[in-house]
Amino acid sequence: MITDIQTFFRELAASGVNLTIFYDAFDFDRFVTGLGNTLLLILASSFFSIVIGAAGAAVLTLSKGPAAAVVRGYVAVFRNTPLLVQMYFFYFAVGSIMPVGQNEIGLPQPLIGSFAWAVISLSLYSGAFNVETFRAGVGAVHSSYEEAALALGYNRRQAFFSVTVPLALRFSFASLANNLVDLTKATTVAYAVGVAELLYVSNQIWSDSLNTIEMMNVMLLIYLVLTGAVVFIINRVEAAMRLPGFGLGDGQ
Amino acid sequence: MNPTNLLSQILEWMPFVLQGFALNILMSLLAIAIGTMFGTFLGLGQLSPGWIIGAPSKLATQLFRNAPWLVLLFYCIFLMPYQINVGGISIQLPSWLRATIGFSFPVAANFSEIVRGAVKSVPRGQWEAAEALGYSRRSTLFRIILPQCITRMIPPWMNLYALLLTATPLSMIVGVEEALGRTQAAVQAQSDSRVLIPMYLALLAMFFLYTWPINRLSLLLERRFRTK
Amino acid sequence: MMSLKALALAVGVAFVGTAAVAQSIECGDDTLCKVKAAGVLKIGTKDDYVPWSYRASDGSFKGMEVDIGKKIAEVLGVKAEFVKVTSANRFEFLAQGQIDLMIASASDTAERRKIVAFVHPNYYSSGYTVLLPKTVKATEWSQISSQTVCAVQGAWYNKPAQEEFGVKVLAFAGTAETESAMTQGRCIGLLEDDNQINVRLSNAKWADYQMPLPIQADTPWGMAVRQADQFAPFGYFVAGMIAEMHRDGTLLKLEADNGIKNSAFLTKMHDALKDHLD
Repeated sequence: MITDIQTFFRELAASGVNLTIFYDAFDFDRFVTGLGNTLLLILASSFFSIVIGAAGAAVLTLSKGPAAAVVRGYVAVFRNTPLLVQMYFFYFAVGSIMPVGQNEIGLPQPLIGSFAWAVISLSLYSGAFNVETFRAGVGAVHSSYEEAALALGYNRRQAFFSVTVPLALRFSFASLANNLVDLTKATTVAYAVGVAELLYVSNQIWSDSLNTIEMMNVMLLIYLVLTGAVVFIINRVEAAMRLPGFGLGDGQ
Repeated sequence: MNPTNLLSQILEWMPFVLQGFALNILMSLLAIAIGTMFGTFLGLGQLSPGWIIGAPSKLATQLFRNAPWLVLLFYCIFLMPYQINVGGISIQLPSWLRATIGFSFPVAANFSEIVRGAVKSVPRGQWEAAEALGYSRRSTLFRIILPQCITRMIPPWMNLYALLLTATPLSMIVGVEEALGRTQAAVQAQSDSRVLIPMYLALLAMFFLYTWPINRLSLLLERRFRTK
Repeated sequence: MMSLKALALAVGVAFVGTAAVAQSIECGDDTLCKVKAAGVLKIGTKDDYVPWSYRASDGSFKGMEVDIGKKIAEVLGVKAEFVKVTSANRFEFLAQGQIDLMIASASDTAERRKIVAFVHPNYYSSGYTVLLPKTVKATEWSQISSQTVCAVQGAWYNKPAQEEFGVKVLAFAGTAETESAMTQGRCIGLLEDDNQINVRLSNAKWADYQMPLPIQADTPWGMAVRQADQFAPFGYFVAGMIAEMHRDGTLLKLEADNGIKNSAFLTKMHDALKDHLD
């Protein structure tokens, strides 16, 4: 069966469509590793970026002091500079002043590797967008809900976490889905710091086999499936959390 | 070598990098212009009740929104010819121009969504009121709904522009000589890994100084236009 | 309205910037004729490969390959225009006509010959090995298997080094990044071509490093033209230029001028082609 598939793609290569990943074992392994790393990058960075976004939005809503200024500064810097350059900066600049361990033959080895830096950088970048998203979600909750909670004896913090946040979350889904789709697409940038994700392995494969266009088509398909999956998951979560009688839109 | 030397070495390369940054700005301006024009058509197409226009517009919007920018860039760089002949005149399409066209696709798709979102954000009651007053669907759209949408569309449009500008360094990977590619070449030529950090810091500063005011302005406009 | 005006302006800029009027002299498919008619030879070269091809701070190109390109253009009596290419786009640029000649440290391999035509004789050659700190005591490739080495993306030897010797390759966009990554301890050494390592080792900065492992797979570099030009005046012209530059010692001189130790390949080619009457 597997040899049949390999034979098919080898014959296809002779006719001009060279998909080495389906018949060359080495390329196949690299490609599967790349796909796995891309999935891990998406999962880890999505998680941390949502945590960062939620924390940032909470700070902006509840505090007016220096903490809020720090969050605003963070959002401004990360939203207004290219991710690719941020990634470089973390890896080469910040990375050079981080603690160093030792590997098995006694040479120095940094404790934070390429993959970890990529997750840190992607989470911070996407987190900055999520802060805005969640803050806008909080802003969309009409102040009468909070007032009602306060009238029922909640204090301001309780009202925020028990009433405003659950409603704000529901207002944030569309924008959050957008951010996570952007994050999924942005994981390709991790190639710049040597993370063996899809673009990195594809780049290696087309450098060796000169099948750039074929690999680009494969990547396009994979990313369309991945972004589709992200949208699907968010929609499912949104549907599961829908409150009866609590419509969205309609001029709020 | 001492720090002043390092600084003068970096300053020596700045004009070279800044020329690259000018190309980033040029590409972003062209791409936002082209993308906005096609995005308007796509967005109105998405609102069309008929499936002949509606379905292809929705499909194109989703396709170009969800494909990684880099992949679209690769298609434009490698599949578009270097020269095209229009009525006996050959026009050259250098790689930066093809990259610009590559950026226009996702911009158009995103703007299409902005248009659709803005039109949908106008309460349904206005459509019904216009219908009751005898307006056709077309004239309701162009004379009542769209004028209100323009102000709602400007802030997200400006955000889209900022996003586009910060994405232009991607074209470095396909060989366009923009700021990031030039920074790398400069770092390479100096054969000195100590310049790596300051050179990238300078690059970050360039982008920040250009994009941040745009985002601030967009935020101000958004507050101003907000209708409660 | 605003965007319409901007668009009109932008389109105007684009056309003023790029509209090249047709050169309708009767050249047919003869690239040599077209180059002479245009007065410009477009040469694709890299800009991150010190000292073969890199940048000066005014943006112009420098290096041994750039000198070779200028020499060829000079003989043709045209201006040399250098176009930056990368490992990922150089073959496509040549095929599309964005460049006419590629001198971009490209190893002449069977895979690549399917896409472009390499002009013979080859103008340079290199193998690959690893630059290691002297603290690493290894003299055989087997001793560093499963270790991580840093390399540049797109180098042809990244795959064989992984497949044959089991090293892990951590690849970056350029050599400044690989150096930086190595000094941070992200890899034990640099996987590079032997010429480049020799250039490094002649610099005092690299006194604590060496290249102890046997050099692998010495592969010649080729200048490339479009396949249609291979057996046409342009291809023959370039081939003749390369042969003559080997024979009269120009390549050896350019190598020395750029601070590279004369390589075994150039010396061998010079000896093989030299005038029997001298």
